[in-house]
Amino acid sequence: MSALLEVTALSAGYGQVPVLHDIGLTVKRGEIVAVIGANGAGKTTLLLAICGHLRLTAGRVVFDGAEISREPAHRTVSRGLVMVPEGGRLFPFMTVQENLELGAFHGRAREQRRARLEEMLDLFPVMAERRRQLAGRLSGGERQMVAIARAMMSLPSLLLLDEPSLGLSPLMVERVFDLVRSLAERRGISVLLVEQNVGEALEMSSRGYVMERGRITKSGEGSVLRGDADVQRAYMGL
Amino acid sequence: MPSGARVAGGFLGGMLLVLLPMLLALGDPYWLDIVTFAYLMAGLAGAWNIIGGFGGQFSLGHGVFFGIGAYLTAILYTEAGWSPWITLAPAMLLAVLVALLISWPTFRLRGPFFAIATMAFNQVAFVLVNYLDWPTNGPRGILIPFRAGLANMIFVQRWRYAVLMFGFLALVTGIAVLLRRSRLGYALLALREDEDAARAAGINVLAAKLEGMAISAALTAVGGALFAMYLRYVDPPTVFSLSDIGVRFALLSLIGGIGTVAGPILGAALVVPVENWLRSTLTGLWPGADLVVLGAAMVLAALFLKHGIVGAAADLMGRRTRR
Repeated sequence: MSALLEVTALSAGYGQVPVLHDIGLTVKRGEIVAVIGANGAGKTTLLLAICGHLRLTAGRVVFDGAEISREPAHRTVSRGLVMVPEGGRLFPFMTVQENLELGAFHGRAREQRRARLEEMLDLFPVMAERRRQLAGRLSGGERQMVAIARAMMSLPSLLLLDEPSLGLSPLMVERVFDLVRSLAERRGISVLLVEQNVGEALEMSSRGYVMERGRITKSGEGSVLRGDADVQRAYMGL
Repeated sequence: MPSGARVAGGFLGGMLLVLLPMLLALGDPYWLDIVTFAYLMAGLAGAWNIIGGFGGQFSLGHGVFFGIGAYLTAILYTEAGWSPWITLAPAMLLAVLVALLISWPTFRLRGPFFAIATMAFNQVAFVLVNYLDWPTNGPRGILIPFRAGLANMIFVQRWRYAVLMFGFLALVTGIAVLLRRSRLGYALLALREDEDAARAAGINVLAAKLEGMAISAALTAVGGALFAMYLRYVDPPTVFSLSDIGVRFALLSLIGGIGTVAGPILGAALVVPVENWLRSTLTGLWPGADLVVLGAAMVLAALFLKHGIVGAAADLMGRRTRR
């Protein structure tokens, strides 16, 4: 399997404050990869830097064979690299359908908008019932589902998910994770997942990275990291 | 999204409704003047609403574009003898150019900081125009001689001005209706709600803001040009007044319903006549009282009509249809 995303020696920060140091990471096609770590470790910042919301101070990001280290976020989306921000960040005063349609903003996705919309509504029957409702009225779990569906409207090959389980009930967490798993298995979409829900995240990921204070300190197969004594003590409370 | 035919029907019906006050006021010069001015202000508020309402970029510097339209038309007409119809083109062009120059740095600011920065540009323009003898004739302003004729956009019959302003309002509203359903319109709405999420959805946020601002500024310059030919006099305190021009566009949109097509029209329809009535009845008793009453009314509107008249009406209708 070839690498879809390849990050080498990446450093980035906010203004004068450096946050990420010398990050190296790969995601292969069809793979779910988890990034775990404590609050403030730089996980969200890493996602922002990869998809062009944040300028890099050093390093390279190669996606699907093309270097995108200097590309702005709106351009990386049309390449198939799509981020689902923390909390979903829907447009609250637009309807569910309008939110989905806005996911198909760039050329290629725009052409397939209608078919894609029906497909998403089929995939989420709950969403079909609520397509004319304002997105702001949805529950947290529904919002996360719509956010992932909106990202799917952009025809992604790699989804960057920022804490999709944050603030959800255990039942909803399971449904969101099931969805992510099925997107990877049935549609061959790669996923880079940032999570605090360490146990479950590692369970469904083929590989994982552990971040501490802006650096990657450990990496390995999901099952191996799950059994790692340091990881268990620090993040799983075992 | 409603179908194209329904939207077109709504637009035409709405415009007919807007035309009604003019027909009613035809015989009464006092009311005709109020209606004419209300059309102009509604058009200007509608132009502001494109970037301020749809795009959520709360500009208080639109007086600059208004001033460009008014001054450029007055200067080219009196000095070079250009027809005001022709001067609309350079006025729009210059307004767009200045809009892009102002926006490039200020669009990096969010929320109140953007509003304050754009307001500062309005004040800078005021000082500059006031100071320069050439070409703006400093504080004396420019008097436009009365030479009636269609080519000069100067009319003996006052109703022709009303038709002119109505045409402007219809143009702005038509553009707003089209824009609301366009790709750019959706981009503006999305970035108003959540700039970061819009960027994550693949929208070029800066480009969308600049395009919205350019359209808004060009239309505002047209309004400024019409204003100059209607008053036939431009001077710095009139054109760059924050309370009557720069902030007024935003205020009318807010009261009517910001970010909606009908909002600016409803805002102007309510505020312009009430303002005139207050001025004529209260000024004799207690000079300045009209402004106090109007100010208090606006505070109340801000407190209780959060989404303007349109929002309040939609709430009422929604309660009736949904339950």
